[in-house]
Amino acid sequence: MPGVSSKSRGRGPSSSPLPHTTVPTARPLRPSRYVPVSAATFFLVGSTTLFFCFTCPWLSERFSVAVPIYNGVIFLFVLANFCLATFMDPGVFPRAEEDEDKEDDFRAPLYKTVDIRGIQVRMKWCSTCRFYRPPRCSHCSVCDNCVEDFDHHCPWVNNCIGRRNYRYFFLFLLSLTAHIMAVFGFGLLFILYHRQSVDRLHAIVTLAVMCVAGLFFIPVAGLTGFHIVLVARGRTTNEQVTGKFRGGVNPFTNGCWNNVSHVLCSSQAPRYLGRKKCVQSVCVQPPFLRPQLTEAQLAAKILDNGIQGDLLEMMESQSCDAEPPPPPKPELRYPGIPRGNPEECRLLNKAPPTPTMYKYRPSYSPGKNHTALTHAYANQGRWEEAGRGGRAEGRLGPGASPGYSLGGRSYPSFSDPTVLSGGASRSSSSTHASAGGVHVSEATTASASFKSLANQTPPPHHPSRNGSLSYESLLAGGDDSDKVGAGPREVSSGRPCTPAAGGHNSSFLMSQHRDAETHSQSSQSPHHYHHSSHHHHSFLHRSSSSTSSSPPPPPQREHPLGELHPGSHPPSANHSSAPPLPHHHHHHHHHHHGHHHHHHSTSSSSTSRPPRFAAPHAPPHHAYPYRTRSTDTPLGSSSTSTTHPPRSPHPPPLGKSLSYSSAAAAEMQYRLVRKASASAGANAAGVGGGGGGGGSGGMGGGEIQMKPLSRANGCRPFSSTSSCSAPSSPCHPVSVSARPGVAYPSSALTQSPAHKPQTGGVRKVTGVGGTTYEISV
Amino acid sequence: MATHSLQDMRQQASVAAKVFIQRDYTNGTVCHFQTKFPSELESRINKQQFEETVRTLNNLYAEAEKLGSQSYIEGCLACLTAYIIFLCMETHYEKVLKKIAKYIQEQNEKIYAPQGLLLTDPIERGLRVIEVTIFEERSLTR
Repeated sequence: MPGVSSKSRGRGPSSSPLPHTTVPTARPLRPSRYVPVSAATFFLVGSTTLFFCFTCPWLSERFSVAVPIYNGVIFLFVLANFCLATFMDPGVFPRAEEDEDKEDDFRAPLYKTVDIRGIQVRMKWCSTCRFYRPPRCSHCSVCDNCVEDFDHHCPWVNNCIGRRNYRYFFLFLLSLTAHIMAVFGFGLLFILYHRQSVDRLHAIVTLAVMCVAGLFFIPVAGLTGFHIVLVARGRTTNEQVTGKFRGGVNPFTNGCWNNVSHVLCSSQAPRYLGRKKCVQSVCVQPPFLRPQLTEAQLAAKILDNGIQGDLLEMMESQSCDAEPPPPPKPELRYPGIPRGNPEECRLLNKAPPTPTMYKYRPSYSPGKNHTALTHAYANQGRWEEAGRGGRAEGRLGPGASPGYSLGGRSYPSFSDPTVLSGGASRSSSSTHASAGGVHVSEATTASASFKSLANQTPPPHHPSRNGSLSYESLLAGGDDSDKVGAGPREVSSGRPCTPAAGGHNSSFLMSQHRDAETHSQSSQSPHHYHHSSHHHHSFLHRSSSSTSSSPPPPPQREHPLGELHPGSHPPSANHSSAPPLPHHHHHHHHHHHGHHHHHHSTSSSSTSRPPRFAAPHAPPHHAYPYRTRSTDTPLGSSSTSTTHPPRSPHPPPLGKSLSYSSAAAAEMQYRLVRKASASAGANAAGVGGGGGGGGSGGMGGGEIQMKPLSRANGCRPFSSTSSCSAPSSPCHPVSVSARPGVAYPSSALTQSPAHKPQTGGVRKVTGVGGTTYEISV
Repeated sequence: MATHSLQDMRQQASVAAKVFIQRDYTNGTVCHFQTKFPSELESRINKQQFEETVRTLNNLYAEAEKLGSQSYIEGCLACLTAYIIFLCMETHYEKVLKKIAKYIQEQNEKIYAPQGLLLTDPIERGLRVIEVTIFEERSLTR
């Protein structure tokens, strides 16, 4: 159980997702996590006990003893399912071993596309758990685990609901609904028969119990109905809320009957953690037998005069010719073995063809190992290869520079790889901190815009582009990512790429980006995803609604939730608010999507929703794509809170972000940048002529932000390295514009054309992956 | 001691590489591993043999996840006893997993270890990959 595992993590490997280590991950004990579950337990047990003590005796005498027996059985059922839903491991994946990861080199893509019954599904790389998330798996930021068949994180049971315990959660809801109805009904019967003596203690208690029951009935019944629909359709809450299959085909459904029987009647799935280690008693001792050589091989051997060379060459060529030979890896754990990647070749069929495409698979969880990674990075001497397309940055995520990550908030930067090689990581980290806010946009851009840069077409085209199923079209990012992969390559070739159009294109993309971002607060939500695909509607819809209400929405967003669903899942924390909340909206308003987007501030954990842009997961204000992406935001949530403490844990609501003229968004950006600059003002000043510091510090408006951008021809105020002398000014317009979740980019973007960079017609920008390209502005 | 026993002169095996057989999701989330023969194993083991092993594993996992009468009865019984039965009884899936572990052990002993390979039970990796460890000979030189 995740709740327990946090405490017991240090006790041993059995309780930790770490494969073999006993190093306890320092997860802070958050007592606030236990408030909803304690309240739920208190109300459930307390009310039922009162019911049994005060109402049932009279009922059993007056009517039949079957009444308390029936209630007792139902209550027992409720308790059993509640306990199992709370304490059962939802299907946590153990962290992958290091050896598994090494198979993917730096150029490993962030997503792997897999074909499920003809539908393209993206598997995202989880940098915390170090593997590509299986379909339907998602990383829960509260529990910090990848959970199989992730449904949602339920605060009322303080546990993730996944493959193993979904059945018990569902039965808990059903039985709780029945229990509430029974308690309310029998209480009503009692009151009706005691109308004259309502002032008696028994009647008063019964009335109180009835009130509690009535209060909880509406949200619980709503949630139950929602899950009945989900089970019938074979969807998880995560998929429903993120709108993955809206208008499309769900590849995981087997028909209503099979879906229901799978949920209720399938054998209990095994748990992956805490299993008894099966001691491998097999002894592997040389000499080893070899399989019989085929005739061809024998012939080759004969012709070789007995020299083995040709045979080996033949084998190597077989394994490697499926894809272009990857650049030499800096770290070869197992040299001497032909390293073909047949599975990867197959899986990458839909992915960008060139391995240099995108390597923004973050290789560490932000906030934890930044330093280590940077050091490792430097040590491995990848700098010389950085020029190959930012390979050095692959591990860090799109456009991230190792130094960049050193800062508390690491934002991918468009640092020139050559700059990185100068050991600028340290300085970059310091500078990057200063331009945190700006970096966010950059970062977002780095990853997201990386894909968006490559794509000349705005996202809306995606749905129509592919004739494939709506799932794919909803993915939207799939194609994008494919294209993005090609992006850096093309970019590096020097042709004016998308960033040129970026002023407008990126803003357009950025809007969707933001769009998507706004909902995903600390990590999620699929809403942006939804928005991306239907940006037309959402854009218009939102912009109209958002213009005036930028400031209020974040706080307001929470109130309705709290008011409407007292018994439901109030957004306790960004990441912990359970999807049931949106469900209620759905239940209440009957158009959950719209309301989900508006009110659903956070999904329970970073979903595996394929972000349209790489960065969508990043908390809007930080828009740090790979960071959130990697950890599914435990940091995201924290960053969210740090950046917008007064407001709300949520980034500007979707609608707000869309509005270019949103003052609140701009204000938030300024605050962000100011904060960022405040932390490293000095460093920023030192950076490239202090453009960044000035830019970030002088938050007067979007214009001011743009100034250093335009001014800093050769300098990169937003770049992480101050000493970067290379003409790799980050694509400010693009990065800024692509920053998700915050309207900041929009304002910056709108002003960027006006602020024509004085550098001239062409600007050099370092894109994701460290490739430098020229943007004709 | 200056003398070296025969054991010291013996060759040792060291881990040379690891190959990961990924899951095949073409039929959804049912546990099914790719039967594609990885190229790294081409010199180490017979292709048919390997594919046979993976196919058997796939069949075993399909049996574990089957919605049959046994799993249904198990579910009903668990419900009726407020899931206390889980403390006493082993679920159908666990039974099949035991079978799988035995099968892998046996395959390792008979076929893979003599050829310098070792299969790791995928349950240890969360049923995501079958890990095949490739050993190479490394002689102790003194």
